[in-house]
Amino acid sequence: MDGLRRHKSMFLLPGLLTLFLIIIFPLLFTIRVSFSGWNVSNPSMDFIGGANYTAVLHDSRFWASITRLILLAGGTVLIQYVIGFGMALLVWREVRGRRFWRVLFLVPMMTTPVVMAAIWQTIFHESLGPANDLLGMLGLTRIPWLTESAPALFALMTVEVWQWTPFMFLLLLAGLLSLPKEPFMAAAIDGAGTWRTFWKVTFPLMAPVSVAAVVIRLIEASKLSDSVYVLTSGGPGSSTETPGYYLYIQGLRDQQTGYSGAMSLLYLVLMSVTLTVVATLLTRAFKLKGDS
Amino acid sequence: MRSRPYRALVAVAAVAALTATACTAQNQAQQKPKEKAGLFKPGSEISYQKYGKDYPATKVKDVPGPCSYDSISRKDYSGQTLKIISHAVPVIGEPTQLHAKQFEDITGGKVEVVNVPFGELHQKILTPLQAGQPAYDVMFYPSLWIGDMAPYLEPVPQEYLDTPGMKDVTEAYMDVATWNGKVVQYPVDGDRHYLKVRTDVLKDPEWKAAYKQATGNDLEVPKTWAEFQQIAQFFTGKDLDGDGKRNHGSAEVTKRDDLTFSAFISRAAPYVKNPDVKGGVFFDVETMKPLINTPGFVRALEDMVKAKSTWAPGGANFGLGDEIFSFGGGQTLMSYSWDDAFIQAQQPDSRIRNQVQAAPLPGSSEVYNRTTKSWDKKANQAPYFTWGWTSAVAKASRHQQMAFDYLCFFSNEANTALDLTIGRFGVNPYRYAHFDPAFWQEQGWEKDVAESYVLTLSGMEESRNRVFDLRVPGVNQYMSALANGIASAVAGQESPQQALDGVAREWSKITDQIGKDKVQSAYRDVVALEDNS
Amino acid sequence: MRSRLYPVFKYTVIALWACFVAGPFFWAMTTSFKNANAVQGGPTYLPWLQYEPTLTGWRNIFGGAGGVDVIHPFVNSAIVTVAASAISLALGSLAAYALSRYRFRLGFIKNSDIVFFFVSQRIMPPVVLVIPFFYLLQWGGLLDSIPGLVIVTIALLLPIAVWVMVDFFNGIPREIDEMAMLDGCGPFQTFVRAILPNSLPGLTVAAMFCAVFGWNDFFFAFRLTFTEVQTLPQAVVALNSSVPPWWTLSAAALFGVTPLILLAIWVERYLSKGNLSGAVR
Repeated sequence: MDGLRRHKSMFLLPGLLTLFLIIIFPLLFTIRVSFSGWNVSNPSMDFIGGANYTAVLHDSRFWASITRLILLAGGTVLIQYVIGFGMALLVWREVRGRRFWRVLFLVPMMTTPVVMAAIWQTIFHESLGPANDLLGMLGLTRIPWLTESAPALFALMTVEVWQWTPFMFLLLLAGLLSLPKEPFMAAAIDGAGTWRTFWKVTFPLMAPVSVAAVVIRLIEASKLSDSVYVLTSGGPGSSTETPGYYLYIQGLRDQQTGYSGAMSLLYLVLMSVTLTVVATLLTRAFKLKGDS
Repeated sequence: MRSRPYRALVAVAAVAALTATACTAQNQAQQKPKEKAGLFKPGSEISYQKYGKDYPATKVKDVPGPCSYDSISRKDYSGQTLKIISHAVPVIGEPTQLHAKQFEDITGGKVEVVNVPFGELHQKILTPLQAGQPAYDVMFYPSLWIGDMAPYLEPVPQEYLDTPGMKDVTEAYMDVATWNGKVVQYPVDGDRHYLKVRTDVLKDPEWKAAYKQATGNDLEVPKTWAEFQQIAQFFTGKDLDGDGKRNHGSAEVTKRDDLTFSAFISRAAPYVKNPDVKGGVFFDVETMKPLINTPGFVRALEDMVKAKSTWAPGGANFGLGDEIFSFGGGQTLMSYSWDDAFIQAQQPDSRIRNQVQAAPLPGSSEVYNRTTKSWDKKANQAPYFTWGWTSAVAKASRHQQMAFDYLCFFSNEANTALDLTIGRFGVNPYRYAHFDPAFWQEQGWEKDVAESYVLTLSGMEESRNRVFDLRVPGVNQYMSALANGIASAVAGQESPQQALDGVAREWSKITDQIGKDKVQSAYRDVVALEDNS
Repeated sequence: MRSRLYPVFKYTVIALWACFVAGPFFWAMTTSFKNANAVQGGPTYLPWLQYEPTLTGWRNIFGGAGGVDVIHPFVNSAIVTVAASAISLALGSLAAYALSRYRFRLGFIKNSDIVFFFVSQRIMPPVVLVIPFFYLLQWGGLLDSIPGLVIVTIALLLPIAVWVMVDFFNGIPREIDEMAMLDGCGPFQTFVRAILPNSLPGLTVAAMFCAVFGWNDFFFAFRLTFTEVQTLPQAVVALNSSVPPWWTLSAAALFGVTPLILLAIWVERYLSKGNLSGAVR
């Protein structure tokens, strides 16, 4: 038993300790700074009690952005999951040019988000970009992509879906490729059709991968900020402002380090709780389906 | 049995400790150049062509003086490295790099330049300064940040203040570079907002007649924001140049968190800067009560909301680049902002070259008086000296002489003359010598265009009713609160009054947080400039 | 069940998605050959037919006058990405293996909590962490250096590596461990000889994620370096000026994605050839 305990620690500790050592100081610093008035002209660790936290609780911009994030992150991740799964299924088995499609569908993920957002901004440019031009060619009306709230949210979600569907696609394709063959043979013997096979065999088997992929994407999508910054700067008005972007404005643009520290920690707690709940609910939902 | 994990811990800690010792305190004395033979004859011809074939073939003479090619090439900086942070390429970033290459070539020193987008520049410069990390020797940044930067800047030494180039810098830009009586910024650019219009339309008899018929007024370059609005409204949706595409009235910088605050102040200036009322435009300098929600500013924001209908598609989300593309591409009739749009429109390959004219920003027919709390019915003009690019040397730099020599070289007469002509460089007139129509005519500008340009700029210098930026510590916070209010009013989320009331509350909060005394004493300097005292 | 329309439907959907995916690249490609006039003239797509192409954008990123140098940053990015990914993968797969095979218990802390600790590092918004990281690296004299960037990048990548690998190790039957043990392998040998070869697909995916996130990290690299170490995203962003040169920016964006496209081809080959389903059973 001693040997085993020693070995399991030997496996775990190098990684755990490395991460711990890198992250501990920044984390403690953030906690401490959130109780200070550290700002652009007074970068010091004074102590002002919980004033920053009280201020965050009354910051309507922050809470409005959280509500908006639920729509943005939830919506895009759902779309990414559906499209990613669909595309993975389509190029999973026999299809012409399979390798070409697979590589092509991965590429958007490889691009640098800030840089691609700048390219997307030129695409959505209302008079110099191709988005409206293509609509015009199809005889449709031009859309004020970045200057009205509904189209701006749509544009933002488009960019997110474009960039991160490949992430889902890769995970789900890898999952599909490692499924065992027996359940499918059994289903075939039972004479189950494509649709039935999918719901009775493929989908339940893919449940663990699906949950993991959705949760990790939710984590990443919640930090949504680069594309907001480049495309709309949170506008029109404040209709595309996300917590990530608001934090960026407060923390880096205005250098309100203390205040944004409090905001980040509240955000961290909020997100950890939400994500844990979401993950539990998802797991339960998928399990139920698998059992039935 | 438990010793192993602990040993691992100790090992990692040891590694961390070892890396710590790599930190060596470097506090050596200032490094001076050696002397070497000059590479240029006095008055030799200078051109950028050698550094890239995309540069114009224009040649100018090296003007003798301490900053000239000749003098700088006599200094030997080999073995020294200068670190520079500048704005993204091309605006100011490209000249920074180009002059760095030239400086390397003629002095033998090494110059490293990093280019950073506007939104990141403030934090990227200030964090190392506050942490005491000697990251950069020379910094290029927007001049309105002087309040945040000044404590970390080395004042410009007397010998550089005495150079002919520096002596020729206009009074306004020397003022902009000064903090608490010391010149801490090295002027390399002059900026202001002014109006640009398309003369091929405004001087066209047919359009003039049509406009007269529709509005009862004569079509001229607008003198007030009301006229501006009427003209913009009239021309929006019409095809001005016969290319089959509809044109629009006005292009403005409106993207939130971009430079929209400057555009708004331009619109507000004539309503809020009353020559008879002293003591501050943004705040009452005595009480530090924000004035941003007073009727003058509200009127300007109402104007801006109204102007929305005259903007090109996407015009409510225009950054400076979009504005320039829109006006420069012939899509819009008028725009107002920095010189860049005008110089860009006058580039040799521009499609509207010599069909444009510069004019002072529109004024107003009445101006708010905050002492009497009423509108004074009199025509008012108030030029806005908005921020431009400036440069400075860090106190912590160990290469201060090399740094100042670089800036002195950057802004020498030959380089400046060439830089002024390249629109994307963003270097604009800031010396009295630059206000010479003949220079611009040599670049192929028509006489009228060159004269309108020079008169507009020099006229601003003569005005005694000027508005400057809010040059106080934490200016970014004030301006991002303002931008947020403007955006919400333009998007229709709040009325202009509500939006600016919100901004005023934010401003009070920010002042409390930064410290009233600190902001007040900085703001007194701005007010002193505005009140010509 | 399989109607004749199915293949038509299938290829239509694939083609539509492919157009959407490739569209922005096509746009960036065509923009990279334009100049200010071509851009201002409105959206055009075909060189020669609709606009006169120039090489300015491309010349600018390879030492031209109005651009930034991309070669040096490219090398830096490659070093940081490879080093940080390799370390993260090594440490991450060891930790993931432990978390998948053994039970840990320390007070109320269980395996799932440790996994959560790793993953939670990605929840924290990076904005505030930048300042303490700055002071940390300053204390270690590692600002503006490649080792400093590697350390910070590990903090970004290790959680991903652990998260991906735990899932894959969970999918590998314990019988494989037991067989290896019976053959006389110690725990470490079991891991190296029996488990790792069977989890190559997982490693491939994890390596790819590490490479993607490492290569594209702009946020930390940007704020923890000054002039000496520049990574590729920084070099590209240096072109996002207040008057952005769309053409140079597009060229640089395309240049930046090339190495990762090669990586994608390699990963895909692995996915196809390795026949992952075989490995797991």
